[in-house]
Amino acid sequence: MDLSTGTFYLFLTLVWYPGKQILLLQIVVMTDLLERISTCVEFGKVDIKSPYPPAMKGQEGAFELTRHALDKGVSPGDILEEALIPAMSRVGQKFSRNEIFVPQMLMAAKAMSSSMTHIKPYYLSGETKRRGTFIIGTVRGDLHDIGKNLVSMMIEGAGWEIVDLGVDVSTEKFIEAIEQHPGAVIGLSALLTTTMENMRKSAADLRKKFPDLKILVGGAPVTEEFCRKIGADFYSPDPQGAVEYLKTLS
Amino acid sequence: MRVSYPYKDLLPGIDALAGVMGYKSGTAPEPVTDLIAELSEELLTNGEARAEYTIFNHVRLDKVSRTLGVEGVVFNVKPIVFSQLKHAEGAALFICTAGQEVGMRSRRSMREGDLLRGYVYDVLGSEIAEGAADKMQEALRAAAATTGMSITNRFSPGYCGWDVAEQHKLFSFFPDNYCGITLTDSALMNPVKSVSGIIGVGRNVKYEPYRCRQCDDKNCIYRGRKT
Ligand code: B1M
Repeated sequence: MDLSTGTFYLFLTLVWYPGKQILLLQIVVMTDLLERISTCVEFGKVDIKSPYPPAMKGQEGAFELTRHALDKGVSPGDILEEALIPAMSRVGQKFSRNEIFVPQMLMAAKAMSSSMTHIKPYYLSGETKRRGTFIIGTVRGDLHDIGKNLVSMMIEGAGWEIVDLGVDVSTEKFIEAIEQHPGAVIGLSALLTTTMENMRKSAADLRKKFPDLKILVGGAPVTEEFCRKIGADFYSPDPQGAVEYLKTLS
Repeated sequence: MRVSYPYKDLLPGIDALAGVMGYKSGTAPEPVTDLIAELSEELLTNGEARAEYTIFNHVRLDKVSRTLGVEGVVFNVKPIVFSQLKHAEGAALFICTAGQEVGMRSRRSMREGDLLRGYVYDVLGSEIAEGAADKMQEALRAAAATTGMSITNRFSPGYCGWDVAEQHKLFSFFPDNYCGITLTDSALMNPVKSVSGIIGVGRNVKYEPYRCRQCDDKNCIYRGRKT
């Protein structure tokens, strides 16, 4: 997207609606800012210093634009819902279609997190609400974490609070986290067929203790069929599938 | 036989590493290629991968159960691997590792919030482990050739239908902490950037560049790769 579009739009508005300039100007500036934040996140433009993407070199990035938007009175909720979440969703979709790869997903996440630096205080004050809490961990006996980290990052980008329990997580630890975050959704990751057995055990114990809990599973050797067999609610081969599933819950 | 290889002999070029991340030649964004270059450079001066193999001159192949026996330990290698090993007279059992360092750097970067850096370290670590396995395999091929023997491809528990839990049988041949690697109950090697397996040795075995044709795992990274 060409970032000059916003300015052009503003010019047209002034010419066509002379009597309502001020109000329209405000709306257009906001839309423009939100679009620019969204573009920065999608393409991994963190801040003014980031040289990438080359077409945006020297321009403000997600960090500065988010600050401007808040200063101009755009609500943090609107920044999330209209800029950050759609941007990360486009990133997830492109990844699922193999149009971009893990590094670009991570670059987008970095831009998103620079924007979140300004938004987080509003979460703490309660002014902005998350869509829900997602607890994630790699199951007992498994030390793989890259895949899990990618999934957490994309789910955070979809507006959820993440409780990342790390790797080699016991069922007891999952239970403890669910007790601390009632209503949370849980995600189990496993990368080896041997640790899928531990996933099965964890899923069974969690289901017994929390019959209504939503359990999401994933990881290279995990399949839809396995998910059904162990009584989990959803299997996703990639982060975007997990995000789409969570959308149906929030 | 114990061998070690400096990282600098194991890392392929930037384009090849970007390829492992999914990019076609020349299409990786600059921050990615820059980071690959920076971290490869940093690692080149930093470490050594280790590999060890032990050759067993006699193996027992059972065509009915499609198993392979080494000194009384029976490996249930399953049809794909068995078909490649069926003419072996002996076998080399091996393990290779990139060591702890690269994994630690990856995890540290991730913890500090630099996911991209963590990911690039992670990919470099995998390539180092694979690179060490390639070199070890080449050393074995050369050693076998001096006695008129050939070798097969290398096969790892967890691939081509061979159960990853059979790592325990494999590790029963190695002393504790062999090559600095330990095995967890769930058959995971620590350091994570490690590879284990078996290579058939014999006068009538051959290296099969297109073995992937026999397997239907479309997602396997070894598809189309020569190992
Ligand atoms: C909660 O909801 C969700 C939803 C989605 C979720 C999710 C949770 N968690 C993950 N996802 C999903 O989203 C993420 C982003 O797309 C994805 O996460 P991933 O973690 O899958 O993806 C990462 C971002 C990138 N992916 C990776 O980093 C793993 C890629 C593959 C090719 C792979 C690699 C690179 C390696 N390996 Co190996 N390796 C394989 C992998 C095969 C594959 N195609 O995935 C896998 C994991 N390895 C396997 C095996 C067997 C092994 N490997 C081994 C070694 C290695 C290397 C060292 C060469 C290297 C690095 C390993 C490492 N762990 O760092 C050995 C074990 C190492 C050890 N420490 O014990 C060894 C045991 C082989 C051996 N005997 O030497 C297989 C495990 C399956 C099994 N049979 O148990 C394997 C699936 C390959 C296969 N057979 O197809 C999705 O799975």
